[in-house]
Amino acid sequence: MLFLQLLINGLQTGAIYALTAAGFALIFGATRIFHFAHGTAFTLAGYAFLFAWRADWPGWAGVLVAVAAATLFGMAMERFVYRPIQRHEGSFFTVFVAAFGVGIVVQNLIGLLAGRGLATVDTSLSFGTEVLPEIFVAPILWIAIGTAAVLFAALTVFLTRSHAGVALRALAQNPDLIRTYGLSANGLSVLAFAIGSALAAPAAIITAMTSGLNEAIGHQVMLISIAATIVGGIGSLRGAALAGLMLGVAESLALQFVDTQWAEAVSFLVLFAFILFRPSGIFGVAAAR
Amino acid sequence: MIAYLSNLATQVAIFGILAATLNFILGYAGIFSIAHAVFFGLGAYAGAQIALLLVPDVVLACIVAAAIAGGLSLCLALPALRVRGEYFVAASLGLQMVAVTLFSELKPLTGGIGGLVGIPLPTLFGVPVGVLPVALAALALILLATALLARGSFGRTLTAIRDAESAAEALGKNVAAAKTLAVGFACAGAGVAGALYALHTSFVNVESFTMDYSVLMMAMVIIGGTGTLWGPLIGTVLLLSLPAALAFLPFLPATEVGAVQQIIIGLAMTLLMIFRPAGLVGDLSRGQTTA
Repeated sequence: MLFLQLLINGLQTGAIYALTAAGFALIFGATRIFHFAHGTAFTLAGYAFLFAWRADWPGWAGVLVAVAAATLFGMAMERFVYRPIQRHEGSFFTVFVAAFGVGIVVQNLIGLLAGRGLATVDTSLSFGTEVLPEIFVAPILWIAIGTAAVLFAALTVFLTRSHAGVALRALAQNPDLIRTYGLSANGLSVLAFAIGSALAAPAAIITAMTSGLNEAIGHQVMLISIAATIVGGIGSLRGAALAGLMLGVAESLALQFVDTQWAEAVSFLVLFAFILFRPSGIFGVAAAR
Repeated sequence: MIAYLSNLATQVAIFGILAATLNFILGYAGIFSIAHAVFFGLGAYAGAQIALLLVPDVVLACIVAAAIAGGLSLCLALPALRVRGEYFVAASLGLQMVAVTLFSELKPLTGGIGGLVGIPLPTLFGVPVGVLPVALAALALILLATALLARGSFGRTLTAIRDAESAAEALGKNVAAAKTLAVGFACAGAGVAGALYALHTSFVNVESFTMDYSVLMMAMVIIGGTGTLWGPLIGTVLLLSLPAALAFLPFLPATEVGAVQQIIIGLAMTLLMIFRPAGLVGDLSRGQTTA
């Protein structure tokens, strides 16, 4: 019975991981920018929702504010941090340090403004009811899984059917050709950041309602996103989402054997094993450099 | 005042060692570790246990700390051999986060969250000594070793690996051995700094080995200038004098100094990367195109 309960919890966590990881993978796949501040977009969205909730705004307004915060942050990062660096052939390390610096600033600003430590949004949605003997399910589980499913369906349709989506995929393959066709690589890059960051917002809101936020949660989100992207195979959105789901379930199932503080370690061990034995990931084609 | 200055000087020497060794793998070998505080911590726990259980001999503590940190540096060297760039940063980020959990859970070895207290005052062959001269000597030795290694064939091999790994391999350089040695040297150095830190403060707990400290060390190297001998030292002095400078701002509540300090460090990192990626000391033509 414990197994089933943990599996259910794992699916809920996994849906959240899948959304965040897909956002990261979308940005990395399309722009080749290692967006280390993706966790910061997540943190900002979560706290935006938290502030809206504390100010007694209606739920939908809070969701809107959270999505807007993440999206604007992603677009601003592209415009004001990554693009100036890319202009002078910024190396991976330059990009990484710049994004990391932004993450530290935001983390400490939130610590100053919202207080340090755990912060949660209490709603009746995260209140579990006993559906089977000893199995508790909260409505938030269905919301998490539903949101993830709907967003992935929408994303797939967007990337395969719409003009902008196809252009985004083309950007990943050949930016020069995109320019030759008269499309704006910069504009598409901003679009990738907007969509990718927006995907972190629902995950952040659900996290705020369930396990809670803290100002340093961005690091953990980043670790999961990178782990899922690498395990899934760089460039594969489906791989990242699936790996995110798997990591969530694995972390939860591991609780049968170890205490909660080790959950993170499980994800890390999976990542470590993949880096050592299969750096190209599950769906990866090209070997990692 | 003398005590304050001597404490600050000891801190500068200890963090100078950390920055110099991190710079060795980051600036010369292009291995971007955000787990340097882990090896600092390993050295600190090792040094503290030696002092508590055996004798508080500063040289013995340093040697044991260097051996343990250097030995466990394989945890970092293994992924560094397989992948680079983004992938390696991810691995070191994970290592840092798991190590903090380990440090707080392995109570018999590390004292858990409470840490190890009452570490006796250091001696050298039975004679009581201050940590400051030993730390300064260790810093000088490590800077000398860095300069010699960087100038010699080993350093050139590392730079070659940083700039073009396949080319270095094609020229017959043993990439795996060079990387493992570089990581081992840097982590052993961090271990020495840890042992000195434990003997200096006579108290260690996991707080000093968190990601924040890894970031602080990275910021020291980057703000000073990666791949330069003196840059990391200048970064160390700058960043360690920051709390003292902030203390002069009367409107700042003492509890928020840490956060404000972190914000300044973060901003400095981002702005430097946008406008002067080579750091304060670094040569501007370099550091822009290196991978």
